Order: sequence, then structure tokens, then C-alpha cells
Amino acid sequence: MKIDIRKIPFYCWLLLFSIVIQSCQTKEIVDFNAQIKPILNKRCISCHGGVKKSGGFSLLFEEEAFAATESGEPAIIKGNASASEMIKRLHSDDPELRMPYEAKKLPAEEIELLTKWIDQGAKWGEHWAYSLPEKVEVPSFNSEASFISEDETSFLKNSIDHFILAKLSDKEISPNMPAAKNIIARRAALDIVGLPPSQSLLQQFESGSITYEAMVDTLLNDKEYGEKWATWWLDLARYADSKGYEKDMGREIWKYRDWVIDAFNSDMPYDQFTIEQLAGDLLPEPSVDQLIATAFHRNTMNNDEGGTDDEEFRVAAVIDRINTTFSVWQSTTMECVQCHSHPYDPFKHKEYFNLMAFFNNSRDEDVPSESPILKMYTPEQQMKVNEVLEWVSKYGSESIRKKYKDFLQFTEPVYKSHFFKDFKNSVYDDHASVVYWDDGSTIIENGYTEESSYVYLNYRSHYDGTQMTIRKGDANGPILGQFIINKSKNNTTSQFPIKPISEKTDIYIETQNNSVAKEVNILNLYWVGFITDLPGKEQAGWKKVNSDFMELLNTNPPTVPIMAENPEYMKRTTQLFDRGSWLTKTDTVEPGVPESLNDWNSDWPDNRLGLSKWMVDKKNPLTARTLVNRVWHQIYGRGIVSTVEDIGSQSEPPSHPALLDWLALRFMNEMNWSLKALIKEIVVSGTYRQSSESNQEMYRIDPENELYARGPRIRLGAEQIRDQALAVSGILSDKMYGPGVMPPQPDGVWQTVYNGAKWVESKGEDRYRRGVYTYLKRTSPYPSFLTFDAGSREVCTIRRTVTNTPLQALVTLNDPVYLEASYYLAKNSMDSNDVEKSIAKAYEKATFTKIEPQKLDALQELYESSLLEFKTDDTASEIFLHFEERPTPELSALTVVANAIMNLDEFLTKA
Amino acid sequence: MKHHSDIVNRLLREKLERETQATTRRHFIKSCAQGMGGLALSSIFMGCDPLSKPKPLAQNSFSERDLNPLSTLAPHYGPKVKSVIYLHMAGAPSQLEMFDYKPELHKYDGQDCPQSLLEGKKFAFIKGTPKLMGPQAEFKQEGESGNWVSNFLPHFKNVVDEVAFLKAVHTDQFNHGPAQLFMHTGSPRLGRPSIGAWATYGLGSENQNLPGFVVLTSGGNTPDAGKSVWGSGFLPSVYQGVQCRSKGDPVLYIDDPDGISRNLKKNTIDAINKINKEEYAKYADPEILARINQYEMAYRMQIAVPEVMNINNEPEHIKQMYGVEPGKESFANNCLLARKLVEDGVRFVQLFDWGWDTHGNVREGSIDMGLRNKCREIDRPMTALIMDLKQRGLLDDTLIVWGGEFGRTPMQENRGNKEMAYKGRDHHGDAFTMWMAGGGIKKGASHGATDDIGFSGIDGRVSVHDVHATILHLLGFNHEEFTYEFQGRPFRLTDVEGEIIKEILA
Repeated sequence: MKIDIRKIPFYCWLLLFSIVIQSCQTKEIVDFNAQIKPILNKRCISCHGGVKKSGGFSLLFEEEAFAATESGEPAIIKGNASASEMIKRLHSDDPELRMPYEAKKLPAEEIELLTKWIDQGAKWGEHWAYSLPEKVEVPSFNSEASFISEDETSFLKNSIDHFILAKLSDKEISPNMPAAKNIIARRAALDIVGLPPSQSLLQQFESGSITYEAMVDTLLNDKEYGEKWATWWLDLARYADSKGYEKDMGREIWKYRDWVIDAFNSDMPYDQFTIEQLAGDLLPEPSVDQLIATAFHRNTMNNDEGGTDDEEFRVAAVIDRINTTFSVWQSTTMECVQCHSHPYDPFKHKEYFNLMAFFNNSRDEDVPSESPILKMYTPEQQMKVNEVLEWVSKYGSESIRKKYKDFLQFTEPVYKSHFFKDFKNSVYDDHASVVYWDDGSTIIENGYTEESSYVYLNYRSHYDGTQMTIRKGDANGPILGQFIINKSKNNTTSQFPIKPISEKTDIYIETQNNSVAKEVNILNLYWVGFITDLPGKEQAGWKKVNSDFMELLNTNPPTVPIMAENPEYMKRTTQLFDRGSWLTKTDTVEPGVPESLNDWNSDWPDNRLGLSKWMVDKKNPLTARTLVNRVWHQIYGRGIVSTVEDIGSQSEPPSHPALLDWLALRFMNEMNWSLKALIKEIVVSGTYRQSSESNQEMYRIDPENELYARGPRIRLGAEQIRDQALAVSGILSDKMYGPGVMPPQPDGVWQTVYNGAKWVESKGEDRYRRGVYTYLKRTSPYPSFLTFDAGSREVCTIRRTVTNTPLQALVTLNDPVYLEASYYLAKNSMDSNDVEKSIAKAYEKATFTKIEPQKLDALQELYESSLLEFKTDDTASEIFLHFEERPTPELSALTVVANAIMNLDEFLTKA
Repeated sequence: MKHHSDIVNRLLREKLERETQATTRRHFIKSCAQGMGGLALSSIFMGCDPLSKPKPLAQNSFSERDLNPLSTLAPHYGPKVKSVIYLHMAGAPSQLEMFDYKPELHKYDGQDCPQSLLEGKKFAFIKGTPKLMGPQAEFKQEGESGNWVSNFLPHFKNVVDEVAFLKAVHTDQFNHGPAQLFMHTGSPRLGRPSIGAWATYGLGSENQNLPGFVVLTSGGNTPDAGKSVWGSGFLPSVYQGVQCRSKGDPVLYIDDPDGISRNLKKNTIDAINKINKEEYAKYADPEILARINQYEMAYRMQIAVPEVMNINNEPEHIKQMYGVEPGKESFANNCLLARKLVEDGVRFVQLFDWGWDTHGNVREGSIDMGLRNKCREIDRPMTALIMDLKQRGLLDDTLIVWGGEFGRTPMQENRGNKEMAYKGRDHHGDAFTMWMAGGGIKKGASHGATDDIGFSGIDGRVSVHDVHATILHLLGFNHEEFTYEFQGRPFRLTDVEGEIIKEILA
């Protein structure tokens, strides 16, 4: 017998859940996390916590709370509230003594709770967020479970529904009916691929020739899936096509965006996805793709503005990397810990710098070239690269081959111009180079030549016959090399012979060119490099290999900025910053992870690779929870922990704690970190498949849908709204990858101070690409996306604030993009003789719903009044629709209707 | 748990019933009441056979207020002002160079802070003995009130008798983002409505053709905390601030496409909203109601906004008075626009001026150079704003609030190992200055005082919640009763705190 669970009388529910209810019976024991910690956080911790420890008393960490205060005595005596200074102070009548200081007395019930807690032994509890259970039981329905049918309408589709139903039953609310097939197909497609479903897929599903699960699988395997989910990840990665800050010059980093799309499409396991982005460069023999992945942390801003200190902005980028890493993977705000211990969460000031030590040794230094940048060689060039490397392998060692590989791939390590000191007749020319005059000189402090017989210089030379002399130490030191540099218009990399030396030393560089007037720029020097000699010099063929090597160094293929680690001799030590100021450094620290999280495994290397392994260790309590919470948020518009940016003692408690943990464990252990599996699990649940139809009572009881008694109903994201308009009108391009495109936008939106860069409207299909490919300039992002709450991606965006403003209406009503889409939707729906059919068709193409009579009436009325206007004034029709020769008044009127359809709430919303 | 939740349910039920009976317009319950009334509502809380759960879809009806959410409403008691202009200096200006004169601090300039001054002080970031930095501006007592104003503000001293200073405001937030959120929403975390949203929700707008809450930014950047500082939180979305641009089109795509008449646009919006109302009947999602309203607002704004946002039509002497720079984004333009907006009945105008974070690390962000320039940018316009409102008889109906998200330390930002080119002060929340002017404000008042070095308030300390309570009071709201029911409990702007600052009220 099949029974609809909705038809079970409520006393059955009560019976079923009596166990749950019993387990919730209040006991007299005070719970630290639920009852005490919130009081301490609210009332005490701003003076007795991470920032201040007034009176030497802090309630942030257990050991501090029970330690002796300035008075010499602890403020809390376990088991004896009346002897505890803390409680005495809460009661005191003396305003100088009474706590909270200069604030209202605590409510009696709070004092009572604190008193009880201390009398009961003041048991400290670890916050739930910092430990993950090993196993979570799915709420079961025991023997009575037999009533759960396999019927289409049944709610229980997978384990997620058990957790949801348990709470619903507790609240005595029943779930909604399942959504109709057309509705759920549109919802699932928008969630999985970010676009409405294709007509053929919808037909297959509606006709029953494929199951819902099969439809979901098809969607997950569509290449549009990667584009949709990349849009989300790129917010976290702060991906943009420009460098930010005042100059905001362009940046070539789209290869990273394409990497993300491909990683999602190939369902790269999330642990690997994490490791490659944080430390791909540190993997053994990293592939080109693994190097591109590390561009994740090269999305930091780069300051090219004149007069700024490269070191200051290098440090700013490093700080951003720490904060972003913890925001993205740990739902933890590390910003606070930069200056002092975290005010609320168990992270210590010093631990911030332990983390900084992981990130502080990358080669990038806020230079305009953004070096290290990975060269994307052509296949022919790559063949040459391989030949050089084969030669090095054959005659040299593995470690030399690695050096040559790095040097050919991203030209590091080299000494860039900000390494230079002691300028004489030479000047540091704003980040990029050092300018030499006649008789000019500079010093590279404490340089290392790798015992090389050559120095490699990258320069532009404006005159012939400049003699450069390289000395050890200073102007009086022994000459290491002396050679002539001739004119070269373009940036050139050349090698010049020097005498090999093995020790670290100051390197003195001098220029002479008597034929040039004084104080004239004879040479811009960008960098000085050394690399262990190309082996096999005595072998025939060496010369050819060497010249190939030099030729490759002088190629300029497309690039992408990547992470690369400093060689031993360039390593920076990491020191604590006093009060967060990068100029005031104190104790030296080593790489390390916060004590309150999972343990460090000594097998892991003390670098970013180790850190990324620690992050995806199954014992890490936050990585998997963070991910499942955020994927859930993408789909439902609300996280299981609603503060998706923060899982910790300041976050909201999870609406379904066991579900969060169960999903996190399942994601790691059973799904093996597969994002596709996770998304599938969520969207095939009965919870997801509910109708989102509802009523005012339910919105009153559960405004945010945290009980999940209805399906999700949320406005589409900025990119989705545009993508969908282009898709339903049949003009969306399916072209993937490549540099950012520039669809039409209003004149004057781009205000570029320096580089004269222009918004050059893309031609052909590039005008109709998906939003993920739209060029994003940080200081002026694509305006209609901004209106629909996309950000400028200067820093990591965990969640977009969803707004509902009149400005959005103006975009979809008046932006030419939407008019063009409306025109094509009208054109493709036009049924020459039947207005009703045309309107119904346009509506159905857009909303995937058959039109209801009242809606048809409203649109038909609009059509008639438009037609009348366009017939009366046929020039109006012409200027309105300038897409083709002489549009008919009928097509113009239908375009107005199509535009109205694209402005309907049901079109703009995933329901 | 069971019997506990029974009690909660009973209390909730009683509360709901009380509210349904009281014809309070402030709760959306009223809109439900038309359709179903208390019985259906209480049935949810009493628990019943789920099958009998009443949900005839057509009952998702809406009240007049739902369909006209900006309609003008009367507050709790006689309001002193009709509108608010809130000038926020994002980044936190230094009170010690503008209003809070500390002659003692001069004496210790460049010296280690004496222990006698440090004793008993709570320090946020500073370890050891910091160096003090004397005021970098010169001060005089100005006007009849004799309140102190620095020479960084040569115009403002002329209106000093119009304003009331709060010299000992404090906040417990010390990073820009959270502190701005706290200052504007009463909570340092996301999710609460901003004060402008509360005001518009409570009072509606006097001009149905303009948003009730308009936001203008200057200084080249938007606040660190993003759109949430003018968000509507859990209030209906229609009450969030609408950001207009003071340069170029005030709003993008404000013009109808070529060939589309006003009439046609009207018909289009009518059709959209007719269908959206059908949609609401089915889904009951309040966002649909908001969208219906926003479409109507968009239509009306298309005419009203270009008019009000056009400063070119202002007479030359007014332009000069503010020092406006037409065609540019500037604080001066925004001040003039603020006047025009409140003149046209906009309830809450929020100005954010960015660039006040004066740590001393760069020229623009220094106390000696950058701050002076920032003061120059705001001095004339904010003075003009007060004078202009006054000469139009609008000052008595308007409240102007000025402040940052916190203040700055009397100590020079730690320069430790390396001499810095510029002088800077660190973030400091223990004591900073704000001022208010306009209707209901005691002219020339100064409330609160800080210690000799300006580190802590020693008298008349007021909190962010107190500031909020006072603003709401002037708008005619009792902050303790002005609540919104969300997730089963009433929320207020002032949480459980806040006291009206009577000392600055007329």
C-alpha cells in the first residue's frame, strides 16, 4: 500500500518524534556554548578578550579565563561562584567596580546563569565549529518507515530529507507538494548550468523518457555547468581583468578563469582543486595547468601607481592571501588577527604570522610586469623548450633541469630593479627599471650569482656602445665582467660572460658611454639574473641549444601570473608586525597553523603545499563544512549556517547542525570531494524538489525558508539574468574561453586616468557571450552587473548582497542588451496571423510555463496598445528597432511584449 | 523541552493575537489579517492536522501599505524633523584636528606618553609606552557658543552656533567595515536594516516620485562595508537606499529607449505588475511586492530623478556657496543634491565621503597633509548645506548628522624602526566627535568631554545606540517601541540599548 506521508495524521508525527523531543528535555546543567559563551561574547569580551585584557582578565581562551588576573587571583573560582570576583563584580553597587564597566547591569537571569555555571564547575566547552564529529546518524523513521512510498509525490528522496523532515515535524509543519515538472526542470537547470534547460531536454523529462535524476546528470555533464559554478568561485578568488588600485591597468589572467571552468567540468576533486590553487607550483613536476591554478593567489591587486612602495603592496598582497585563504576555505575572518588576537574566535595574534610565513616567500613583488608570469608557448616554441630541457637532463642534473624549466617558463629568480641600491647617476624609475646615465652605477645587495659564467640582463638600450662593468662588492672591487651593450629598441634579454664566483656578495654595476651627454638616459635595466651554467659545453650542439635558450627568453607569448617560491638564497624571514603595521617588526616566526584547528602532520612540508594538505585533511573541521554550506547557499539562497562568511563563535548556529556535519563527512568520505556528487545529492532531494508556492502565514513563520517547508525561490544573479535573456531569445553564444569580452555598455562608464584603455565594443558573437566572460575592470565593472549586485572583485566576495531596487527595473527595461534580446524573442515567437499564439509562445520560451488567461489578457492588452502607437507613428517603430530594415508595427509591438516578459518577477526569479 | 515550547508557543500566540487586534500598521500581520485573520494564524502555532493547514492561494492578498509602501505615515509622537541628511566620513576623521581641542596634548608632542596619563587607561593596540602627537591644527573658540573649531575648517566656524557637538561618542568596533555597519545598522554584522531603511519604513516618503532613501557617494570609493550600510536587512527590500551617481546620468538607463513613449512605458509597467500580482497570489514572496513597487518607482523616477539631480539649474551664487563642480563626483555636489532631495520630500539622504583613513602611510592618508585636504573638501559644502537649508526655512524640518565610524588615537601611529614621511593616527573607538544640526537640536550645545589627551570620554559618553535613539526620537519614534517582527521576535535598531541624548535636544 502506498501512503502519502502528507496524509499521516499529526499524532503519528508526534509519536515518531517523541524520541527527538525527549532528547531535548532541558537538564539543569548549564551548557557553556549555548548559554554562557553568548553572554560572554556580548557583555564581556570587548574588554576581556582578544583586543583588550582589562585587569589582566580575558575570557577568550580557557587557560586565560581561569588564570590569575592583575590582582593575583583568578576571577573565576571553579565551583564557587560566591567567591568568584567576576560574579561579585556583577552584583557590585560601586560604579567603579561593577561590571560591565560603564554599562547597564546584566539582567538577573544572565547573572543567574553565570552563577550556576561557575557553581557547576565552570566547565569550558569547545565551540562546535572547531571539531567535526566522526559520524552522524541520519534521523531514522524506524519500522514505521514502511509507510514511506516510492510514489512521485513522496517527500523523502534521500537522507537530506530525513534531517529536514525531523525539524519540520518538530515544528509541526509539513513540507510542500513537489513542484511541477516544468518548474523543477527550470530550477534545476538554472542551479546546475545557470541557464534554462534546452527544449529537447525539457521534453524528454516531461514526457517521462528520462528520469529526473537522468536530467540532472545530463545537466551536470553540460559544459555550461563549469561556467555557472566558475562564476561563483571567481567571486571567492577575486578574479578580475585588471590590477586594481588607482591605476587599475589591465591584467592578462583569463587563463585562470578558464582553468576554473575546466576544473569544474572535469569535476576535479575539491581537495585536489584546493591543493593546486594554493600550491600547484610546489607539486613535483607541476604541469602547466597546475601552475595556472596558482593564479588563484595572483588575483591580488597590484599597485602600479607612481611613488608607492613595492614592499608595502607586496605585504598587502600577502595579507590578502592569508585573509582570502581563511575566508574561502575556513569561513574564518583572519583580518582581526593581523593586529591582535581574534576578539571572539580562538585564534592568537602570533598565529596570524605563523600563517604569513607560509605565504611570505613567493617570488612576486608588486612589480608592473607582475612577474612571475607563466609563458604560454606555442607548440613550436614548446618543442624547443623541451629540446633545451632534454639537453640539460642529458648533461646535467635534475636540479639544474628544474632551474632551466622554471627560467624558461617564468623567468625567475631574477633581481628586479627594486633590489638595487646606492644610485649614482642612475635612478629607480618607478617600479619597473633602473635608468642609467653615463658614469652611472648601482649595487645589488647581497646577491648570489649561482656560480654562473654569465649574467643575464633584461634591458632597453637607447645608444650603441655602452660599456657595462660588473664588480664584486663595490666600485673598487674586482671586475667580474666587462662588456658592450648596443642599442635595442625593445626589451631584450641577453647573456654576457662573467667570472664565476661562489659566495654571496654585493654586486656593483656601472655604465660608461662617453659619446652621450651627461644626465641622459642611456639604458633602462629591468632585471639582472643568474642561472647555473648550461651543461655540456664541451659537447657538439651546445651553441645551438644555448642560442635556442636565448631565443626562447626573448619570446613574448601570452602569459598568466603565477605563484613561485623563492630560492633558498632569496628567502624572507617572517616577523610579527607590532599592531599590524608592516614597518614595525618584532619576533621572527615559523610557518604554523592555528592550535584550535586540526593538528599538523610532520610529513607535510612547511610551505604552502603543507598548508593546503592540512586544509584538506579530513580532520580539518571547517573545510568541508564551509564548502557544503556555501554550495547549499548557492542553491537555497541561505546557508545551513546563515552567516556563510563565518563559521565560528560569532556565526549564527546552523539551522540543521547534524545535516551540516553529515553532508560535510559524506562529501569527504563517500563522495571523495566530488562537487558534482554534492550538487546532485542536494538537487535530487525531496526538499529541493518542493514547490516554492506558499502563503503569507508561511512567510511569516519562516521568512527566510530556514525550515525548508517550501522550495527555494530567489532572484537570479547578475550574470544569470543577462545569460538567460540571451538564451531564451536564441542569441547566446556558446563560445568558451579566451580573453574577456566587451559587450555594449553606456558611454562614459570607463574612466581611465592613466592608460587610455578603452572599452572596445566586441564584434560578432563576442557581444553575446555568457557573463562569466565579460571583461571586469575593478574600478568600473560592467554596470548592469553592478546594479544586480555583482561586485568589483577587489577582494574576496563570499556572498553578494541581494537587493531589489528600481534601478534594476531600468536595466531590464531600457538597457539595449535587453531590447535586443526582446526583439529576437519576439521575432522567434512570431506567428504571423495569431497574436495570442505569438504571445503565448514568447511567454513559454521565457518562463517554461504555459500562459494563464489573465496573464495572456494583460500582455495582449499591452500588445494592442503598442500596435496602435506604432501604427500611428511608424517612425517610432523604426527608431525603436534599429536591428533590421523596417520592422513591422506588429513585430515592434511584440517586442514590447517580449520586453515586458523579460521583466516579470517569474523570469528574473528561480522559483 | 516539550513543556517549555508549549509555554513559548502560548506566549507567542498571545502576542500574535494582541498584535492582530491592535491595528498597528507596522506589522505585516495586518496584510495577512485581511485574508485570514487570527484564527488561521494561531492554528499554525497550536499544531493541527497538516492536511487542514489552510493555504488557499488566492488569499495571498496585500494591504494598501504593501502596494504603496512609501505612503506617508505618522510616527509615534510629534516629530521634530521630516528628513535626515547623514554625512558619513568613511575611514574615520580625526576628532583631534577638527573639534576636540586638547592643548595638553601639545605639551607631549613627540614624547613618550607620561605614565600619569596612561594609568587606568585601556589600550587597544598599543604596547609599551607610545608617543603622543599634539594637535596638528590650530584651534579657536568660535561663535557665541564658544565651541572649539580648528583652522582646518575656516568656513564651518561660521555655523558653529547651529550645531550640537557630541564629544565623547564611543563604539566597540575598530575595523572600518564592521564599524560602519555598526554605525548604520546598529550591528557590526550583516543582516540588519540601516537607519535610513528604518526611517523610510516607519515614515514612508513625502514624494512618491522619488525613492524615500537616497545614497550619494564621493571620494572615489564606496564604503568598506559595501551596500549593506544602506541595505534593508530583514525589512522589505523596497526600503533600502537607492544609490544615485552625482556624475553622468544620475541613474543608468534612466531614459526610455528611442521610439518608446511614456504612455507605452506606462502600459508596459502596468502589464508587468498585473502579472506580478498574480504571481504574488501564488507564491506570497514579499520580494514580488517589492518588485511591483520598484517598477512603479522606476517609472516615476525617470522623470523626477533627472530633474532633482540636475544642479546646473541652480543659481550661480548657490553653486559658489557649495563650491560645486558640475560634471564631477564631489562631496560639494552631493551636499547640494542632498538639499534638493530633502526639499523634494526625500526622507533620508545618506552621503558617504571616502578617504578619511589617516594612518600616515601615504600622503593622502596623513594627518598633516591628507586630512587637511579632506577638510577643505567638506568644509565649504557642509557649511553651505546648513546655511542654505536655513535660508529656505528647511533647517527646522531637517536633521543633519555628521560623523565617522570611529575616531583616531592621540598617539602617533607607531613608527618604530623607520622614520615616516607623514604623520598618522590609528583607529580609535573609545572617544570621538560627532555633531548634529537642525530641527529639535539645541543650537550651540556641546555634550561630553574627553580626558586631557582626548583618549577616553570622562563625561557625557554616548554610544552608537544612543545616537540612533536620538535620531529616531527626532523623527518621532520611541526607539524601544519601533520594532519589526522577524523570525518570531521583535527587532529594533537599538537592539536592547540606547538612550536619548537629551542634553543636545532643544
